[in-house]
Order: sequence, then structure tokens, then C-alpha cells
Amino acid sequence: MIKIKKLSILVLVLFLAACSEDENVYMDLDNPEIELPIPSGFLAWNSAALKNRPTKYGAELGEKLFTDKRLSKDNSISCASCHIQASAFADHNPKAVGIEGRIGLRNTPPIQNLLFMKSYNWDGSKLQLENQPIVPIITHEEMNSSILEVIEKISSDIGYKVLFKKVFGDETITPERIYKSIAQYEYTLISADSKYDRVKQDKEKFTILESYGYEVFTQKCISCHSGALFTDQSFRNIGFPVNIDTNEAGRARVTGNLADYMSFRVPSLRNIEYTAPYGSFGQFASLKELLDYMNNGVLEAENLDSFFKDNGNRIPLSEAEKEALVAFMLTLSDKNFISR
Amino acid sequence: MKNFKKYLLVSVASLALVSCSSDDSSPAANNVILEFNNTFKDKTIVLGDATSASASVNTSAEGQVHQFSELKYVISNIRLIKNDGREIPYNVNDLDHGATVIDQAKESTLSYVLNNIPAGEYKQIKFGLGVRSDLNTLNQVKFPVFYANAGANDTEMMWEWGTGYRFTKIEGFYEADKKQMSIHSGSTVENGEDGKETQGVDAYRDITLDLPNNAVVGSSSPRIVIKADFDQLLSGKSNTIKLSTGTGMNDNATPNIHTALQMVKFVDNLGGNGTSDVSGMFSILSVK
Repeated sequence: MIKIKKLSILVLVLFLAACSEDENVYMDLDNPEIELPIPSGFLAWNSAALKNRPTKYGAELGEKLFTDKRLSKDNSISCASCHIQASAFADHNPKAVGIEGRIGLRNTPPIQNLLFMKSYNWDGSKLQLENQPIVPIITHEEMNSSILEVIEKISSDIGYKVLFKKVFGDETITPERIYKSIAQYEYTLISADSKYDRVKQDKEKFTILESYGYEVFTQKCISCHSGALFTDQSFRNIGFPVNIDTNEAGRARVTGNLADYMSFRVPSLRNIEYTAPYGSFGQFASLKELLDYMNNGVLEAENLDSFFKDNGNRIPLSEAEKEALVAFMLTLSDKNFISR
Repeated sequence: MKNFKKYLLVSVASLALVSCSSDDSSPAANNVILEFNNTFKDKTIVLGDATSASASVNTSAEGQVHQFSELKYVISNIRLIKNDGREIPYNVNDLDHGATVIDQAKESTLSYVLNNIPAGEYKQIKFGLGVRSDLNTLNQVKFPVFYANAGANDTEMMWEWGTGYRFTKIEGFYEADKKQMSIHSGSTVENGEDGKETQGVDAYRDITLDLPNNAVVGSSSPRIVIKADFDQLLSGKSNTIKLSTGTGMNDNATPNIHTALQMVKFVDNLGGNGTSDVSGMFSILSVK
């Protein structure tokens, strides 16, 4: 009787797999979904993730791909070469560095809490995480390869064969399966265990300085760096020094809207301690330098964000306020996240 | 029973053969050759670097002299329209067999041969400048040939960050001090999951051109010569553009025209605005 039950499950699974074009329907009973509870105050999962739920082996496969240097043309760099865990999956270069030391357009963004984001990259050019991995793979200043070149290189790797079978039901390596797996891994990178979080849960207390910093933050920063993600995910031109690379136009290069010229997504402040330098192309070496700049006055622009425009193109900050703000921002560091 | 099947097969096969052949000697299909003549007004463009003495120099409506060192664009989605109005699509969903990169530096790319076009008289041609949104995904598995061609180092017709193809790539110089001009176009359309939250600009343009005399396909394979007048890049039907160099939001001479509002002005000049202008810079020189 037990055998019959097993058989019927197998038949059912086969039936489902055969009738659906969506590879996600394949379910190995030994490849469970990873439990990713939504941390307190966080938004719901984005809708693409709901269709590409991270599984045990899916995320494992994604991590293997993420750290595989064969994704680059000369096998010299992997995703993890720029997205370094100790730096909250960013790095310390002003602009990203690809194969042969090629310098890219922008600062490497940290990879954290992507499960809750609506768009990706500084300009929001991608609306689904699954559409992103192809970009660094083919970009000349990054990995400069192609997806078929990658598949050819990894196709004889037994480890991949085993994992692709566990995740998708057979050993076939397709571009879509690679993109989905990398996204699944990235979705699991959730940072919500900082001192700030523990203070919110009444498990710890701010120091006096941190507490003052939080007060300044709620007065002068929170309108953009809002919510548990510390970003409202909007795009704004806040008059930072302009990247003179002729390919740069901020979000306007995506939308074609002049109002988006040199606008970038409000960055999350979580783990900001680990992601220096700051700005879309690393304009500021330290948080202090960045706050000094905001206090001294930012560049005028037609589409300068109204928060700055209404305040004489600056956010006035005393030295004491800056010190306190930096202390507060350091409470957003999640040590377990960068060393798990 | 077996025999019956055999007979049936034979008779169906012979019927099929009969219906495919016609009595006269003219073939049922033949080639159509598209020839692209890239010009400044009536003169074919000669490319050259900043110091070139032979490079064609053009003057825009705004009085800006300019010259090109590189000139490429993608043609796809080709359709020939018969006299009776019937549209004959040419591999319109297959970039490997229905799309091409026209490169002024490569003579062989200036002619594109359409194979196996059904015999008949054709009065009109339609094609796309660029790649339709639904095919513009850099799908290397589906279209390895076009992908390789567009991605080649001496072609550079890929827009990696937008995961799509470049539709036009023009490099050159303007004004007496030979400032760089670098005008690229491509689509930035991005769909969210379920096709929601669409963002970006579609730079694909559908071109319709009436033929001055019918192209007769049959025993002959006609040659349609298409003029692409790049004088219209800056002095077009849609926009009169003055180039300016810099990183301001209105500067447009270098690729920050990807602030697609600037880009769209060039795109509309080259490929029409899709409504009142469906020819852009293109016209038919001759049908032979």
C-alpha cells in the first residue's frame, strides 16, 4: 500500500512536470523550500520571488554559481569577487573592477534584503532579480563572457550535474536555470540582526550618543531612508559630485525621463559600516566626508530633490550631530550577516 | 491495408509535387536583394577619423559640421507587400535568419539577400530599424548567429546593461575642433514579473516604404536600393538637433543621450515617429 502511494506521488509529479512550462513546478520532496520568515517591519516578498522560492539545493546551486570564477571569460573573477561577504556583499573599490582590471561605471552595490526590493541596480534598470545575473556575465568591464560560454565550461562538472538534477529534476543546464538559482541564493541573504533591530525588540539599548543620532536621523534623514530597509526605494538626484563617464545619466538612462537625470536609488543604510566608499561611483571615502558634503551644500540641479531644494541645497548638520549620526548608523551593522 | 497506405502515400506525394510545379519555366520563388546606400543628402558617406581628408563632411540645419568614423544599424522584421496587399513576412521572428547589422565599414553588409521570396509583384516594403521588444533580449540560445555577430568586438551592437541590442551606433566628430560625437540608440524596456510595472523607452521603429515600381520576383531576383540619409540625424522631419558636449541633462553629443529623452529625438529622426512619419531617413532609390 505504501508503495502504491509512492508511485502515485511519482506519477503526479511527472504529470505536473510534463504539463507545465514553468520549471518551478518541479518539486523534489527532498529539496524543501528554505524558511525565510519576514523580519519585523519588513515588506512582503516581491512577486518575482514568490515564483522562484528559494529551496535548499536551489540556493546551494546559486551559491556555487555565485562563487564560480568560470563565469568570467578568463576564469579570474566570480560574482563573489566584487560582492564580498565581509563587506555586506559589496567591496571597497570606488567603481567596480572586472577582468583584466577593467573599471566599470559604478560602485558595487551590496547584496542584502533583495527579497524585499522592487528594483535592482543604482538606476533600477532591472525589475526582477532573475533578469540581473546575465548583465555582469556579458558586460565588457565585468566578466566579459557569454551564457553559452559559461554553460560549456561548467557542463562537465559533476557537482553541477548533481545539483541541477536535485533542483530541476534533470541535469540540463539552461540559462534560465542559472539565473533562477543565483537569484534564489541572493534572496536568502537577509540582514535583520543589527543592534538597531535588537533595540527595537527591547533586547538591547542605544548608548546616549546612538540615541541622539537616532533622533537626528528621524529629523533629517528618515523621509528617504525610511522603513525597516532604510530606503523608500525611490530615485532622487541629491546633488552629489557627478560621474563624468559619458554612459552615466542615472535613472534617466532607463526611463528616458529628464526628471530622473542623475537620480539614483536611495541606498539602504544597513551594514553601511562595511560598504565604503559611498556614492554611485564612490565619491566619498567615509561617512563623515559624506555628511560634511551634505552640510556644506550639494550641487545645484534642475531636478534636485525637493528635500534639498527647500533647505538651501543642504542638510545642515553640526559636528555633534554628524558624530551622533555616524554612531547611529553603526548600529545598523549586522555582524552575523557578514560572517555567517 | 499496408498496400492501401502505400498507394495513398504515393498519390498524396505526387499531388503535392504537381501542385508545387507550374507550367512555365519561371521559378516559384527567388531572391530579393536589399541594398543600403548610406548618405549625407545625395552623397554616399565616406567614413574617416578626425584627421581624415577623405571623410564626408556634412552641415546640419543648425550649422554644425560633422563627420562619421563609424556607422552601424540593425534591420529586422522585414516584410514585402504584394500588389494585392498580402504581406510576406521574412523570418520576422528569427533574428539569425531575418535580421542584419548594416555596417558602413563593411561592404558585404550593405547588401542583404532575402531568400526564397514567393514569385509575384511587390509594391511595398516594411522593415524595422532596431529589434522588436519581444525579441530584444540577448537570447544567445535562440539566436546564436545574430548574438555573435552583434557582440563581436568590431561590431559592439550590444547594450549589456539593458540586456538588449544597440539599434544604431554612430561615432564621429563635430565642429571645427572635432569634438567627439557618439550616438547610440536602443530600447530600455523592462517588464516586471507578470509584465507589470513596465518601464523604459522603446527605440524600435517600423518603416514603411512604397516602391516606385513593382519589384517582380520570379525568373528575376529584383534589387531594391534603399537610401538611408544620415543628414536627417540632426536635421530630420521630427527634430532639428543642435549637438552640445558636457554632462548636463540637455547635452547630447555623447552617450549620456541614453537619458532616453535625448536619444528619442535622434531615433525619431532616423526611424520616424511611428505615426505621421513612417519612413524616417529611409527612401527607395530604385527597384531593378
